[in-house]
Amino acid sequence: MSQYAMVIDLNRCVGCHACALACRAEWQVPVPYHRNWVKRLGPDKTPEGLSYTFWPGLCNHCDHPVCVGVCPADKVVREFKNPKTGEVKKMQIAATYKDPFTGVVLIEKDRCIGCGNCVAACPYGARYLNEQLDEPKADKCTFCIERIAHGEIPACVKTCIVDARIFGDLSDKKSEVYKLVHEKGAKRLSSKEVSIGPNIYYLGKKKDISLLFTKCAPHERKWEKVSSLPPGRREMLLAAIKGLPTFI
Amino acid sequence: MKRREFIKLSAAGCAALGLMELQGRGLFRPAVSQGATAGATPQYLPGSLGAKEVPSVCEMCFWRCPIVGKVKDGKLVKIEGNPKSPSNGPRVCARGNSGVQLVYDPDRMKYPMKRIGARGEGKWAKISWDEALDEIVHNMQKVKKEYGPNAIAYFDHGASAEFMREIFKATGTENYTNEPAFFQCVGPVAVAYLNTAGYLVSGTRQYIDMGNAKVILLVGSHIGENVHVSHVREFVAGLNKGAKLIVVDPRFSAPANKADIYLPIRPGTDTALLLSWINYVIQKNLYDKEFVRDHCNGFEKLRESVKPYTIEWAAKICDLNPNEMRKAIELLAKHRPNVAIHPGRHSTWYGKEDVGRHQALAILNGLMGAVAVPGGIYFQTPVKPGKAKGMEVEVEENTPAISLKTEYPYAEALGTPTANIIKATLTGKPYPIKLWGINGVNILQTIPNPYDTMEAIKKLDFIFCSEMLAGETAIWSDIILPDATYLERYDAIHTYDGLTPYLTIRQPVVDAMFETRSPYWVAHQLARKMNINVFPYEKEQDYLNLQLQPLGLSIEKLNAQGGILTFPSKPYRSRKELKLPTDSGKYELYVEDFAKNKLDPLPKFITVTAPPKGYMRLVYGRVPMHTFSRTMNNLWLHNEMPENELWLNDEVAAKIGIKDGDIVVMENQDGKKSNPVKVKVTAGMRPDAAFLPHGFGSKSPLLTKAYNKGASDQFMITRYENDPYVGSSSHRTSFIRLIKDGKTLDIPEIRPLPPEIPRFEIKKTA
Repeated sequence: MSQYAMVIDLNRCVGCHACALACRAEWQVPVPYHRNWVKRLGPDKTPEGLSYTFWPGLCNHCDHPVCVGVCPADKVVREFKNPKTGEVKKMQIAATYKDPFTGVVLIEKDRCIGCGNCVAACPYGARYLNEQLDEPKADKCTFCIERIAHGEIPACVKTCIVDARIFGDLSDKKSEVYKLVHEKGAKRLSSKEVSIGPNIYYLGKKKDISLLFTKCAPHERKWEKVSSLPPGRREMLLAAIKGLPTFI
Repeated sequence: MKRREFIKLSAAGCAALGLMELQGRGLFRPAVSQGATAGATPQYLPGSLGAKEVPSVCEMCFWRCPIVGKVKDGKLVKIEGNPKSPSNGPRVCARGNSGVQLVYDPDRMKYPMKRIGARGEGKWAKISWDEALDEIVHNMQKVKKEYGPNAIAYFDHGASAEFMREIFKATGTENYTNEPAFFQCVGPVAVAYLNTAGYLVSGTRQYIDMGNAKVILLVGSHIGENVHVSHVREFVAGLNKGAKLIVVDPRFSAPANKADIYLPIRPGTDTALLLSWINYVIQKNLYDKEFVRDHCNGFEKLRESVKPYTIEWAAKICDLNPNEMRKAIELLAKHRPNVAIHPGRHSTWYGKEDVGRHQALAILNGLMGAVAVPGGIYFQTPVKPGKAKGMEVEVEENTPAISLKTEYPYAEALGTPTANIIKATLTGKPYPIKLWGINGVNILQTIPNPYDTMEAIKKLDFIFCSEMLAGETAIWSDIILPDATYLERYDAIHTYDGLTPYLTIRQPVVDAMFETRSPYWVAHQLARKMNINVFPYEKEQDYLNLQLQPLGLSIEKLNAQGGILTFPSKPYRSRKELKLPTDSGKYELYVEDFAKNKLDPLPKFITVTAPPKGYMRLVYGRVPMHTFSRTMNNLWLHNEMPENELWLNDEVAAKIGIKDGDIVVMENQDGKKSNPVKVKVTAGMRPDAAFLPHGFGSKSPLLTKAYNKGASDQFMITRYENDPYVGSSSHRTSFIRLIKDGKTLDIPEIRPLPPEIPRFEIKKTA
């Protein structure tokens, strides 16, 4: 199975925000939401010295995505196809799911009920609920899987002015991301408390990684507080779809 | 009611009401799924996929990266770098990406406007183009007749201003080409290198080969925060190949974070550090003897003049660790000649010593032999398109008996110092100036002491400007002409003469919106109305095709090959074939010409007055998301950074009781107060200075997003000195203290001042 992943090299990154803007342009992400962001960190003292670095962030397409587990949409069976081998696999999915062949976490927008559970659950704040739509939908980074299907690379990778973003398949030992993760020690932004296998990795000096992890690694299991929908509301929403009268 | 709010309410309480609302809106109408692209027709492909691509040239800053505009259904959806471009390839920076929002900004100037209230009041009436242009022509002719041609002045910047400059030249005024770019930015560095190396090492471009350097030295340059894509790329490529980095800056900037040696220097003392380094490399024989012997003039004079400047002396002046200073210069010398001593870009810091500071950088560069070698300063490879006749006005020499330029020996070539134009307008001396044209620059956010500038504007008979978005200067104008954006027009041919030379053109990606017009159209109309014999071509394409012809090209042919034509470059020279474009052909460590003009032929340490007790120096700089003051209203860029923060040293903050995120008002030495601004408390700032990102705190209500967001550094810079070479204005000679909750706070002195540095004294007004 493949797992698409990205390595961000903080030694190269100058914090210019081009990635965030290219993503916004590509997917018409409305202000003030973000699929892709740059948070400026410091200058602050760290045990390794003064650091002024950045958190270029996006959906981590986690190994164990908690957003998938909290999605209350009815499950349906979907067929997935391996883009490399053509192999087919059937799987039950809610509105948000992890593609079994690429490891990319996606949302089926037509079935998203806009409850915001996944937004609340993500410990990285990588999802937003687009409330500017008549019918709010959750949205987030797709690793530009749509562009990849057309032979392009992710918009943020393409625009990165210093080539600090490296995208590829982590299961492929010949890939650049594999080498950076397994040989150069690129790190996942996670903590003892929250370790769900993010697939965005960061390379950098000790002081920068230290500041990044102190300020931005999640330490709280937010998804455990997400109680799915209140009793009855789900039924009401489903009834609304069907146009049936509801009495609670 | 938004659906989310509905969900938040108790389900039982409003189920029926909610249900009606949901049904009415057609809840759960199928939306496009993420990742679904199968079977989509090109037009309906998601994102920017399947868009028509038009090559052009960016102008969100002045660097001019080749781009492609991606258009779907006649609408610009995205901008990417031109993949054929050898400098940026498919990449554009945050601003480049946000050009889309410049075109569709609802605050754009849509039609010509005429002032109906008092100047600066902001009341306008829509008028026709004919009326606007007639009024400009009438006033130009009237002022010229009454006061003579020099009563007309033109402030211009960038590609949009170049055509109209010919109109001003034709009136006979000498007060044109007074680009704030020279007098508020690169003037001193240009003069220093023109006279040392013989060419403009730093101006619109910078010819410094960081990508192949073994050591990079930045003095006050914050590459990465000031983003010019190819320049940043070369910087990071150099570091990635193992170059060591030395950064000298009172602030721990983004590149300081990447440095091997960081020197947090006392602001205003950079020349002391550079002179001590020059002395050190000479004393310790660390310089390139062969280069100095064969290719430099004035070494002995230099050696004598820098003798007093020891590392120990400089360490005290600069408040630096002498061992770190030695370590840095030894690292640089060890790797000579492949060292990139960055010439700097924005150079108008302290006035009197600005040229000397850059001359010292240039001298150090010569001593390292870092000339025309990989990693050093390199030679340009000019790209020359053909000529289209009649595009420039023939100007007769017309230096008036009293000139605003002659005070400064090196101003002549660059234009009239902007400070002198403003003074002459304000005082009527040495002659009155009664009309200003402004194009491509917001002078109130660019030139020190905007309060004087506003007073000067009040004395004018007429002032007009050309704008896409109405900043401060526009609201002080009598007529505003609405400019087409760079994405809606043709311009001149754009050539790049750096390491990978190329030629490209700016061309419209989408049709011009509203009643906006291209700068060429405006200049063409003015020329007709004024009977000036220039711009004989109806359309931009006509002269562009003529210019492309000698290269065997036309716009069409150029576009067919991706919009770019590249050329081979010759940036380096062997020592044998090295000849510099100075009069002597040598690198001038001692500048005879400066001596002839009664200026210092060698750089000296000139003290820069320190802040008065209770104040700190205001320094400013760039952020990568914004350019000058002109992108703050861009929806996307505004969202990334809506306002600025004042960087304050953590120890100072603790002593005066300010916490991170507190709101303060700045008050400068002249009692001018700023907008309230958020404080960023950080260990990455020296205690004797505060740092404010440039260009915020807009005072124009016509910029609905940027208006009053953050604080303007420029409106705090009321004290400035002019450098004696070119007459540029200093921008780091103002001081501030802070006011919090109505209480004025005295800034404590954490790093004591040595007796050699005098303090600035605030004049007490009765």
